[in-house]
Amino acid sequence: MKVEFTPQQIELREQLRAYFGKLMTPELSAECARDMGEGGGPLWRDALRQMGRDGWIGLGWPEELGGKGMSPIEQFIFVEEIMRAGYPFPFLTTESVGPQLAEHGNDWQKSELVPKILNGDLLISIGYSEAGAGTDLAALTTTAVKDGDEWVINGQKMWTSLAHFCDYTWLAVRTDPDAPKKHQGISLFLVPNDAPGWSCSPVNTLGGVRTNTTYYDNIRVSDKHLVGELNGGWKLITGQLNRERLSLVNVGPTSALFNKVVDWARETELASGGTVINQPWVQMNLARVRTGIEALKLVCYKQAWAMTEGTLNMADASAAKVYGSEFFIEAYRLLGEILGQASLVKSESESGQVLSGRLERLYRTASIITFGGGTNEIQRDIISAAGLWMPRASR
Amino acid sequence: MDFGFSEQQGEVQALARQILSEQVTPEKLASFDEFKAERFDRDLWRQLAEAGLLGVAMDETYGGMGFGFTELALFVEELGRSIAPVPAIPSLVSAALPIQRFGTTKQKEQWLPGVANGSTLLTAALLEPGGEKPENPVRTTVTVEGDNYRLSGVKTCVPFARSADRILLAARYEVGVIVVLLDPAAAGVSIQEMQYTTFEPQYEVRLDEVLVAAADVLAEPAEGAEVMAWLTERTTAALCAHQLGVSDQSMRMTASYTSERKQFGVAIATFQAVGHRAANCFIDVECLRLNVYQAVSLLDSESEATTEVQIAKVWAGDVGHRVSYASQHLHGGTGIDRDYPLWRFCLWARHNELMLGGSARQLADLGQRIAAGEAYCS
Ligand SMILES: Cc1cc2nc3c(=O)[nH]c(=O)nc-3n(C[C@H](O)[C@H](O)[C@H](O)COP(=O)(O)OP(=O)(O)OC[C@H]3O[C@@H](n4cnc5c(N)ncnc54)[C@H](O)[C@@H]3O)c2cc1C
Repeated sequence: MKVEFTPQQIELREQLRAYFGKLMTPELSAECARDMGEGGGPLWRDALRQMGRDGWIGLGWPEELGGKGMSPIEQFIFVEEIMRAGYPFPFLTTESVGPQLAEHGNDWQKSELVPKILNGDLLISIGYSEAGAGTDLAALTTTAVKDGDEWVINGQKMWTSLAHFCDYTWLAVRTDPDAPKKHQGISLFLVPNDAPGWSCSPVNTLGGVRTNTTYYDNIRVSDKHLVGELNGGWKLITGQLNRERLSLVNVGPTSALFNKVVDWARETELASGGTVINQPWVQMNLARVRTGIEALKLVCYKQAWAMTEGTLNMADASAAKVYGSEFFIEAYRLLGEILGQASLVKSESESGQVLSGRLERLYRTASIITFGGGTNEIQRDIISAAGLWMPRASR
Repeated sequence: MDFGFSEQQGEVQALARQILSEQVTPEKLASFDEFKAERFDRDLWRQLAEAGLLGVAMDETYGGMGFGFTELALFVEELGRSIAPVPAIPSLVSAALPIQRFGTTKQKEQWLPGVANGSTLLTAALLEPGGEKPENPVRTTVTVEGDNYRLSGVKTCVPFARSADRILLAARYEVGVIVVLLDPAAAGVSIQEMQYTTFEPQYEVRLDEVLVAAADVLAEPAEGAEVMAWLTERTTAALCAHQLGVSDQSMRMTASYTSERKQFGVAIATFQAVGHRAANCFIDVECLRLNVYQAVSLLDSESEATTEVQIAKVWAGDVGHRVSYASQHLHGGTGIDRDYPLWRFCLWARHNELMLGGSARQLADLGQRIAAGEAYCS
């Protein structure tokens, strides 16, 4: 047992920190802030292509698929550093859909699309959720029906994030309405976001993050757009979601934020004399956050270590997701209390903002991952069943 | 980064678990309830000595296995899982470890072999009424007379003071703190029994001009506070490891019970409200586990671990509390029925939570260190 990075891991971390330090120019940072941490702007695209050229896309993919074959723990270090730097990396495309395509895709997908992903030239949005299919994803009703050599796709998806600037949607559709179990009749297609019959309209959220409703109106695609086996989509979906979870809760940005709040509180003088940090309640809030961060760090590192060893337990993965997503909310609250009302001044404000207005945005976006990425209720169901062997009610 | 156990660590854990699960039965535990007998299973202690576990972290020169603090903490975790009636933390952690680290060769030869083979019992007096910082005793003072020291004062909640061969204890000198190995039979020592919530034998120890020979001094005034801080961190980490065992066992008992117990024709575990509260315990226990292992492994390599130990103790306090009450609640009445084993775990969860500082005090200490710039995130 040794809960410390190896010298090689420390070197990788330093290398990445230096690399992203250079990559994130003030102009790029400003563009990302304007795009609500979603990316999609021209400088953001340039930086992604640069990363592709420098070999930083496809870290976790096997080398034979054109990746770097890095272990989960190294990928974790990468995620931590890039999030710390504040670059909205398109993980969904590069780290969760990409490797699935490289592994299960057909010749066209492997020879045409995969290299573009690795070059930072191709972006993919995820189309699973629908108005009537959220947590119960297998209830989805968008269909693909065979017509001669083509598939005709009809339906509507909710919350198709990034779709407004992506090239394709990784779309889950029903291809066998008569399958004995509803998740057995689902297939995955890669639908071009400029196909005739494709459209999207914005959905704006509390955090300012834009997502989309996407519409599929008699879209015709050929067989080459089918990913993996017909009616074999469910395995691809769960495989993708499992990979996605690794990047959902990460300790890097919260550690960096904590350190900044500590610095601020040590430097900032109170009108009544003394510094902010001299107040016992401020120290108490900081200590609580520090205590929570330590657990988050260990939970994340253990998960990455277990994945590297091939021993990841489902209950531990779910525990990390639940703990992390709920802790973030608590941490933003406790840190926000320290900054006081100044923590509500937005980053765009000409005056009065503290720490670039980050906390003002974070508290508004914090809830997304308590239900997104597999809602915490379902994660808790998994924990009591897989971690404690408790029976659960049939659904 | 390695969260796995070495072969040796796995063996220590398995050996301890095997002996304890066989020996520490509910009937055995019941025989000590309400102070019916001194809560010390001497047969078990002998067996643990024979298995080598009492000397797990002791040098082979003194009859130990020569392993480290990690192995000792894993043993303590198993003692928590079984709430075994033995004085392991006071004797092996609070007293024997500092003797091994700071003692003279003579002191080591005098005390350590007996600790390893189970014939010697040591303890430590860490607490004073109103004074909870072991490295800063205020109510116990010392004066010097030639080669001898005279101690006066009072210590409270001293476990096993009456049956111990020596009590490790700190006293304030003009400048600094001295640490001695006090003979409880020495003239001027009076030992008053206390009735403590876990039924562990604890005592108030009063010292009236007690003479201590130079040979029984473990640390001189210049080093005393440091020695006490060293052993306090290790004792704190050991309490956290014990709490981990207590909490993990309470949670697992709850998972089994709710899987068996039926209401409305189904196992109560199938109610999502029940499953989710148990899942919260699982997350809590995992957070505690990882923080304990981190603190322990840092201490094992003598690395700086003040922040990590404080954080582990906050988790031990909070998780112990939450898991204890979730377990009681999810069992319904059975959880507090003295014919069912859970209730004793609730007593120990409370002990581990408060000894050497509950969460609020740990957080306040950590907060001060954050303010001083000593606990940034890496
Ligand atoms: C900003 C944002 C971005 C998103 N991006 C994407 C995307 O790119 N692609 C995509 O496909 N989707 C995306 N989503 C959708 C997201 O995955 C869903 O919101 C999520 O799956 C939950 O579904 P729902 O919103 O329909 O909530 P519901 O499923 O209606 O859930 C509502 C509440 O009921 C609870 N609940 C539901 N079922 C159970 C149960 N069995 N037991 C206990 N409690 C239950 C849930 O936990 C939740 O608290 C995004 C959502 C947001 C807000």
